Amino acid sequence: MTANSLTAQALYPEPGVAAAATDLCKVYGSGDTRVVALDRVSIGFREGEFTAIMGPSGCGKSTLMHCAAGLDAATSGSVRIGTTELGTLDDRRLTELRRDRVGFIFQAFNLLPTLTALENITLPMDIAGREPDREWLDRIISMVGLADRLGHRPAQLSGGQQQRVAVARALASRPAIVFGDEPTGNLDSHAGAEVLGFLRGSVRELGQTVVMVTHDPVAASYADRVVFLADGRIVDEMLRPSAEGVLDRMRGFEPRPRTP
Amino acid sequence: MFRTALRNVLAHKARLLMTVLAVTLGVAFVCGTLVFAESSSAAHRAAASKNFAGIALTVTPKEPLPGEATASGGNALDAPLVRKLAALPGVAGVRPSVDGSATLNAADGSPLRGGKAWANLAGAYVPGEDGTDERYPLVAGRAPAHADELVVDRGSATAGHLGVGDVVTLATDGPVLKKRLVGIVDTRDSRVTAGGTLALFDTATAQRLFSSPGHFTSIDLTAAHGTDPVTLATEVDRVLPADRAQATSGTAQAAQQATNVDLMTRGYQKMPKIFAGAALFIGSFLIVNTFTMLVSRRTREIALLRAIGATRRQVVRSVLWEATLVGLAASAAGFALGLGVASALPDLLSIGQDPLPHGPLVIGMRPVVAALGVGVGVTVLAAWLPSRRAAKVAPIEALRSAEQPPTPAASRARGIVGLVLLLAGAGLLVSLTGAKDASDANLQNAMAGCALLVAAMIALAPLLARPVIRLGGRLPGRLGVAGRLARENALRDPRRTAATASVLMVSTALVAGLAVIGNSTGQALDRQAADGLSADYVIEARTSMAALDPAAPQRVADVPGVRTAAAVADSTLFTGGSVRSISGVDPATLHQVMKLDFTSGSADRIGPGRIAVSDTVARAQGLRTGSAVKARIGPGQDFKDYTVVGVYRDNPLAQDVLGARAEVQHDSFRPGTVQRLLVRTDGAVSEATAARLRTATGNSPLVRVKDREELVAEAGGTVSELLTLMYGLLAIGAVISLLGIVNTLAMSVAERTREIGVLRAIGMDRAGVRRMIRVEAVTVAAFGTLLGLAGGMFGAWAVGSLAGGAMTRYTLAPPWGTLALLALLSLVTGALAAAVPARRAAALSPLEAVGQT
Repeated sequence: MTANSLTAQALYPEPGVAAAATDLCKVYGSGDTRVVALDRVSIGFREGEFTAIMGPSGCGKSTLMHCAAGLDAATSGSVRIGTTELGTLDDRRLTELRRDRVGFIFQAFNLLPTLTALENITLPMDIAGREPDREWLDRIISMVGLADRLGHRPAQLSGGQQQRVAVARALASRPAIVFGDEPTGNLDSHAGAEVLGFLRGSVRELGQTVVMVTHDPVAASYADRVVFLADGRIVDEMLRPSAEGVLDRMRGFEPRPRTP
Repeated sequence: MFRTALRNVLAHKARLLMTVLAVTLGVAFVCGTLVFAESSSAAHRAAASKNFAGIALTVTPKEPLPGEATASGGNALDAPLVRKLAALPGVAGVRPSVDGSATLNAADGSPLRGGKAWANLAGAYVPGEDGTDERYPLVAGRAPAHADELVVDRGSATAGHLGVGDVVTLATDGPVLKKRLVGIVDTRDSRVTAGGTLALFDTATAQRLFSSPGHFTSIDLTAAHGTDPVTLATEVDRVLPADRAQATSGTAQAAQQATNVDLMTRGYQKMPKIFAGAALFIGSFLIVNTFTMLVSRRTREIALLRAIGATRRQVVRSVLWEATLVGLAASAAGFALGLGVASALPDLLSIGQDPLPHGPLVIGMRPVVAALGVGVGVTVLAAWLPSRRAAKVAPIEALRSAEQPPTPAASRARGIVGLVLLLAGAGLLVSLTGAKDASDANLQNAMAGCALLVAAMIALAPLLARPVIRLGGRLPGRLGVAGRLARENALRDPRRTAATASVLMVSTALVAGLAVIGNSTGQALDRQAADGLSADYVIEARTSMAALDPAAPQRVADVPGVRTAAAVADSTLFTGGSVRSISGVDPATLHQVMKLDFTSGSADRIGPGRIAVSDTVARAQGLRTGSAVKARIGPGQDFKDYTVVGVYRDNPLAQDVLGARAEVQHDSFRPGTVQRLLVRTDGAVSEATAARLRTATGNSPLVRVKDREELVAEAGGTVSELLTLMYGLLAIGAVISLLGIVNTLAMSVAERTREIGVLRAIGMDRAGVRRMIRVEAVTVAAFGTLLGLAGGMFGAWAVGSLAGGAMTRYTLAPPWGTLALLALLSLVTGALAAAVPARRAAALSPLEAVGQT
C-alpha cells in the first residue's frame, strides 16, 4: 500500500476506520515567522491497528497527533474520530469527546499525584460521572499487572509502573482510539518494552486502536504500521516493521535539506 | 548580582504584581491606621483646644480665696480696665470676651451637636473700632445688637438648617431661650470647626448670661511688634487690681492647655492604636507568607543558579536585592494608599451618634518609619529566611523535585513548640476563671494568654490542616471528582494551606472573641440596667455642669399620668484619692424609681453625713456598712466625715455613691440645682407622655428625655465602640486574607499547569476546573474560619469569666447570628479569591500537559 491509497481512504468515512485526517494543515505564526508544521496531511487509522508515527525532530509528528486527538485545532482540513467531525465541535463537546472516546498516554506519565493508582485509572469515568465497567477494569488492571499496587500514590511507584497506570487509564474507558506521545521516552529499555508490550497486547487481544508518536525505531517495531513524516508531510509508510528496517528508512530521510 | 535581581523582578510580571500588591496593602493598612491615629488625636486635641497664637497675655479674674466674699458685684474685668489696657505702651490690640456655653436646637427641634459642653461655645460679639469683631467675620446678615438676637457659625447653620431670620431655640444652663438669628459668621476656632457650635450675642446679653452686667470673663492682649513680653507683663500687672485679676502669657496657657487636653483625649487614641497594632501584625504576616511561597516556588531557579556556579551568598544576596526593590516601590505606593485609607476611616468609623471630629491629615514621622519598616524591613526579612533555606538545598536535589516536604523533625519541633504555647496560653486563661474582678493584672494576664493562644494556633495550623480538612472533607468530596481533587490539593502542602488560612484564622479569632465578649457584656449590662430600673423615664441635663430648669420638677410632676418625679442632684465625691459620681436622692421616693439591691444596710438611713456606696466602690476602697470615710463633695476643699449606711450592687442610675439630696445640692458645682428627674408613671408609657414630658421641660436642647429602652441601651453603650473595632478588624482581615488566598491559588495554579492540562486532556471541562479551584479556596478559607472560631470562642469563654467576676448578670452569650455571618463571610472571601485563579486555570490549554517544559 502506498501513501496515495491512504489518502484516498481518508476521504470518506469508512466503517473500519477509527480516526482520519484529511488535508490537514497547521501553521504557526505569520509573515516572517510563519512555520508550516503540517502541510496537507491526509491519513487514516484503521480499527484494531497499532500505528507508529515517526520522523526527525520538528517534522510535525506531535502536531499531527495533537490535531488528530482534538487537543489542538487545525488551521485547515478536517479530522474525524469515528463519524464525528472535530472542527465543528465547541470546547465542551470536544472535552466530552476526549473524555469518552479518546485515551492518552503521555511521555511524562502525567498522573495526578494526589490520587491513588486506582483513582487515576478511573479518573476519566469519575469526571464523566460514570461507573466503570468492573469486569473490563479488572481485565485491564490484571493485564498491566498492577493489582497489588492500586492503593499507591504515583510518588510510590517506579517510572515503569507509573506509565502502566497511565496505559490502564487510557484503556479503562474503552476509547475508540488511544494516542501515545512518546510513551517510552522517559523509560529505560526494559520498562519501555513492557509498556509497548501492553499496547500491542491491547490491540491484539482487545481490538484497541492505538496511535503512537515515537522516534525510537525499536518502539516503532512493535507497531503494525509505521508512517514516516518529514517537513510536515507524509513521506513513507512501512507495514509489519522491524527495528532495523525502520532505522534504515530513517537514515534515508535525515540528511535531506528542509524545504519551505 | 544586582542585575540578576533586577532582571528577576521584571521577568515575572504577574508574580511581581502579587508581591507588590501584598506589600502595598500591608504598608497601606499600617500607615493608614497610624496616620488615622495621629490625625484623629490631633483632631480631638483641636476640638478641645483654644488657639493661643498671637496672644501675648490674657487677663482673667482671680479666683477668690476660700472664705472670702465672692458676690462683690462681679469681677474686675470691666470696660474701664479694657480702655486702660488698650492705652498701655506696647499693646497692639485688646480683645475682651465673655465666654460661656450654649446648646442650640436645629431647625427640626433636635439638639445640634449637643452633649459636649466644651464644643458648644457661646460668647459676645464685641465690635472693634470699625464696628466689626475681627475674630468673627460675618458671611451673612449682621451682628447681634439686641437681647433677642444671635449669630451662629457657618458650620452650625448648615448642619442645623438654620437661616438668617429664623427663631432659634437654645439653652445656656437653666431655662430655654428663643432668639432670632440675624447673622452667620466664620471662625477659625478649631473647637468649632472640628464639629462644635458657636453662638454669639451682643456684649450686654452675653455678660448677663455668662458673667455679670458690665464684666468680661477674659481679655486677650496682642503685643505691638518688638515689644518685650516681660516688660509688657510688668506694665499690665501695674494696671491690674492685684487681688482681683491676673495676667497669664499665651505660651503658658498653651502649655497648660496641651497638658489638660492630652489627659482628656488620651482615651481616644486607644482604639486607633489597637487598630494599627492589628494591621501591623496582619500586614507583616501577609508579606512573610507571600515571600515564603515565592521563594519556595523559585527553588528550582535558585538551584539552577547554584548548579551553574553561583555561591550561596550570591543567591541570597540576589533575593535580598529583589526584596529591597519590591519593598521600596511597594512602600511608596502603600504609603500613598495609606493616606487614602486614613482619610476614609473617620467616615467609616463615625457610625455611632458621636461622630469623630474632623481635621486635616497629620503625617508624622511614625507612619513614614512604619512604612519603611514594614515595607522594606519585613519584606527583606521575609525574603531572607526562606532564601537561606533554599540556598542550603543541594543543587541537584532541588532540580529533581519541586516540592520539598517538611522533614519529620521540623514537624515534630513545630508540634512541640505549638503544644507548649497552647498549654501555656490555655493554662493562663483557665487560671483566670477563679478571678473575682477585671483588675489590670488580670487583664494583662488575659491579653498575654490570648496572644499565646494565637501564636499556638499559628504554629499548630499546619499539623491540624490534615486531620481537620480530612474530617470536614466529606463535604467537598461529595462534589464529585472536582471536589475530591480540590480537597487533596489543599492537603498537598499543609504548611502552605495553613499559612494561607492563618490570616483568616487570626482575624476570625479576634472578631469571634470580641463578638462573643461584646454580646455577653452588652446583654449583662442590659439585664443589670433593666433590673435596677423602675423609673419609666429619666429626664436629664446633657452635661453634668448644667442643670434642669428649677421650675421643671414641679411642671413634670404636674404632667398627667406621672405618679412620682424624683429629683436627683449629681455631683462628684472625692475620696480615697479617686473621684466618684454621687447621686443626691430623697430616700423616701427612692424605692419608687430605682430597684436597688442592697448587699448590706439599706437606703432608708441615707441622710446628711450618711451615704451608701456601690459594690465596686466598696471593693476598691475596702468599705462596708458602718465604715467611716473622709470625703468631699463637689468643688469644695473641706473633707467631711461620712458614715457608710449601705452597700448596693452596681446600678447605672444610682451611680457610684448615694447621698442625701440636700447635702449634695449644697456642695455641688451649681448649688441648689437638680440634674436628673426620675419619673414613674401610672403605666402611662406612651409617645404622648414622652412628648408631654419634653414640653414640661420647655423643649430645652440641654435636656434629654429617655425612656426605659434608651436607658437600657445606653447602659450597654460602651459595647458599641467594641463593635466598631470588631467590624474594622474584620474588614482588614477579610481584605488581606482575600489577597493571601488569591496569591496562594495563583501560585498553586501556576505550579499545577501540567496537571490541569492533563485533566483537560482526559476530559474535565472548563467548569469542572473552575469548580475544583473554587472548592480548594473555600476549603482553605473554611479551615481558617473553623480554627479561628474555635480559638476565639475559647478565648472569649476564658476572658468572659473575668467579666463574670465584675458583672453579676454575666453569662456567656455567643451571638450566633453574627458568628454565622462571620463564617459565611469567610467562605465568600474564599470563593471570591478563587475567581481570577480559577479563570486562569480554566483557560489553560490541554496541550500544556503534553508540552515538554
